[in-house]
Amino acid sequence: MKDYFQKISDKLFNSLENHEILVLNFDAEKTDFVRFNHSKIRQAGNVNQATLTLNLIFKKKTLTSVIRLSTDFEKDSVLLIRTLSYLRREIPELPKDPYLMYEKNINSFEQNITGSKLDNYSITGNILDNCHAFDMVGILSSGTIMKGFANSLGQFNWHESESFNFDWSMYAESGKAIKQNYSDQEWNQEAFSNLLSESKEKLKVIDNKEIILQPGKYKVYLSPSALNEIVDMLSWGGFSYKANKIGSSPLHLMEKGEKSFSEIVSFSENLSNGISPKFHSDGFIKPEKTDLIVNGKYINSLVSPRSALEYSVNHNAAEYYESPVSIHLNEGLINSNKILETLKDGIYISNLWYLNFSDRNNGRVTGLTRFGCFMVENGEYKGPINTMRFDETVYNVFGDKLVGLTDKSQLLMDSGTYDERSTYSSTIPGAIVEDFKMTL
Amino acid sequence: MKDNFINLVKPLLPKTDYCSFRFVSKYTNIISATRGVIEPVITSEDDGLMVTVFHNGGFGYGATSNLTQQGILQAVESAKEWADFSKNKLTYSPDLSKLKNQTGSYYTEEEDNWSKVSMKDKADYLLSVNKALKSQPTISNWGASMRFNKIETLFIDTNDSHVRQKISYLLPQIIASAEHKKEIQTRTFGGHAHARQIGYDFIDQINMVQKAKILAEEAVELSKSPNCSDQVTNAVIAPDQMILQIHESIGHPLELDRILGDERNYAGSSFVTPEMFGKYQYGSKLLNITFNPKLESELASYNYDDDGTNAEKKYLIKDGLLLRPIGGLFSSQRLDLDHVACSRASNWNRPPIDRMGNINLEPGEDSFEDIITSVEDGIYLQTNNSWSIDDKRNKFQFGCEKGTLIKNGKFAGVVKNPSYRGITESFWQNLSKVGNSESNNILGTSNCGKGEPNQTIFVGHSTPVCLFENVDVFGGV
Repeated sequence: MKDYFQKISDKLFNSLENHEILVLNFDAEKTDFVRFNHSKIRQAGNVNQATLTLNLIFKKKTLTSVIRLSTDFEKDSVLLIRTLSYLRREIPELPKDPYLMYEKNINSFEQNITGSKLDNYSITGNILDNCHAFDMVGILSSGTIMKGFANSLGQFNWHESESFNFDWSMYAESGKAIKQNYSDQEWNQEAFSNLLSESKEKLKVIDNKEIILQPGKYKVYLSPSALNEIVDMLSWGGFSYKANKIGSSPLHLMEKGEKSFSEIVSFSENLSNGISPKFHSDGFIKPEKTDLIVNGKYINSLVSPRSALEYSVNHNAAEYYESPVSIHLNEGLINSNKILETLKDGIYISNLWYLNFSDRNNGRVTGLTRFGCFMVENGEYKGPINTMRFDETVYNVFGDKLVGLTDKSQLLMDSGTYDERSTYSSTIPGAIVEDFKMTL
Repeated sequence: MKDNFINLVKPLLPKTDYCSFRFVSKYTNIISATRGVIEPVITSEDDGLMVTVFHNGGFGYGATSNLTQQGILQAVESAKEWADFSKNKLTYSPDLSKLKNQTGSYYTEEEDNWSKVSMKDKADYLLSVNKALKSQPTISNWGASMRFNKIETLFIDTNDSHVRQKISYLLPQIIASAEHKKEIQTRTFGGHAHARQIGYDFIDQINMVQKAKILAEEAVELSKSPNCSDQVTNAVIAPDQMILQIHESIGHPLELDRILGDERNYAGSSFVTPEMFGKYQYGSKLLNITFNPKLESELASYNYDDDGTNAEKKYLIKDGLLLRPIGGLFSSQRLDLDHVACSRASNWNRPPIDRMGNINLEPGEDSFEDIITSVEDGIYLQTNNSWSIDDKRNKFQFGCEKGTLIKNGKFAGVVKNPSYRGITESFWQNLSKVGNSESNNILGTSNCGKGEPNQTIFVGHSTPVCLFENVDVFGGV
């Protein structure tokens, strides 16, 4: 596919007229999706797709077309040359773009993360064989993701990875469930078996009689997955330079220095795991690490090139949406093997669900418990709890009410597949928080 | 998709128990002006095919953007291979004899075509809307946009079906935020829920410039208003909040694939169980909910769903009684229930699943004025800005942009950050007045997410203003 992208890029660059600049972004995937319900196949199939985004720049004006490709060179050439003509014809209609910025230095590189060829029929068979005795529901997404960048100034970048993501839940007869995720470049039967064994053990505990909680304040353990849901809410503008300027950031009071988190809280955008491409859609190379919050203080935002021009600051190659793609929260000191003892009496929350703001100005977030949530008494599981709604500010969760973070993080690969498979990830420890407010 | 292309691909349908080809051609154009500047304009063209194969008790699909003969044949092979592999491994095998030949078409009635208005004129208009939005000095963020989508589908199958549909819709958006003492309050044009199958003349009808001035004034007023206080009270809910209330606490829980457990790993299941149909009193006798793909200009109007099933209006809830789920032809076979034409896919690269189409709350008899006058003590809630509900669609919480207190049948001041929470099973029992057709709005949202792999789809909700008693209302920090 890389050869195709190079060839079609050359074709387009050779068709440019004087003073035109063309920026190309290529996205493709070949993925098998297998959806399961009741430990059988609900829907299974293959998706083979490729897209080229053409951004024509001329006399400080810009116009973009996103074209789905066949990857048949002759067929696509006709379509893309026609698209280039359309862009050329329409671009004079537009005003100059005062925030137009694209990389003029050339920095070409390639990044390939490919393991042995994944056999998706074999993986699916393995899943069915190992889960047939349980009520399993979930999705296997497996295959190759390709992303490319090229511009008419001569830069070329390529990112290719072959991976799978199996995201599933196991249900007990009581209707309670445990959720798990296994994602990697190569299928390791032992790793999968260990995760399944873990699920089975937790399933035994969660199948006990439900404990009905009343609204009130509780000491809680938030697993890495649960805490990541709250971090996701921070990412709705919290780390965006622009959102902080226009006031839509849930952390705008923190950015203004009026609020802070606990000193043990340090967030960064960290691309070192190689899951997301390191090149920006306008060709800029992203820094490996950008500190966002250090020891509880807001240090940096993610700044896109457009925001940099709008607000006269330097950018750090963030995409226009200015949200983290690979956020990292530093570990703390709570022994990950002694979570129940440390929590002692409280609620063990494995997953949170359907979060949204109840007061964005003040960083207040609501959502619900889901999957694998237990009452803990004297450091031991007492039983599963009913679904509860929480409503709490991020300044409590990461600030005054934060007891501590665990000493081990978990790499959480985004299993999202809207339009295409996600390349987002996060690395998050667990947390113990007191006075966590349950409202319904 | 021209006839000669169809003649070319029809012979590629394989000799299996059943096979369908669903071609989708999608065109999108988005123009935005933010803080007085035209953002990069984006057009998108997306053509692709989904091949669906049922054979020997197996099922598989192959989806491709490669519409050459070779590409289509590869997709057919993928679908056949997965069908072969999944033989005797499926959650259920549908009764294919229920699939009948379908021949027909559907086209959005457009009074004025999007392409007739130049990009420059659209950009200039949005800049004039921006100017109206910045009419107040404390406006800290403002913007307006128009999104146009045209989706053409062609469905053919081994039953010799031939269905061609072309849906085009327009989504105008306006946003204004005002800052007062570091408090930011935002007003939008209906919570971005004014998507309709309608021509460009809709832009003139709604007068975005006039709307912009009003929204900017309201944002400024809100930024200086007190927080909504905690109270259990009467809530008059405007259509641009009702849309979310219907969507989250009626639409989603009635989706049959949730009830059957397909969504338990992602979007969740439902408190509704199969035995409740025909017996369960979902709400007060004023509650009438329809699946209505036939309401002109509503966002999810069509004549056929993506499995080629003929679409018609049906009651889901009548006089408060739950009648039928939102389940397509295949899903409904799993419980032997009546179906609606709701099997829909977000694009050619995703398989159809049970989705809302147009889920409407039928108008009642009370005028908006009569409803307000009837309230001794309460609050009028407008425009959704936050939504959250549990995985069985019971415990919900919604936030609104604007609250207006009602005292003795009259409006009595604006409050900011109004939210309310409740439980679906009891909330709809407290529906005490339903607005008449004059208070009804046809609304729609283009971003309903569900499914594995994930799918975002457009759905319509037509609803009048409604009054609920004993609502737990509260405000911000």
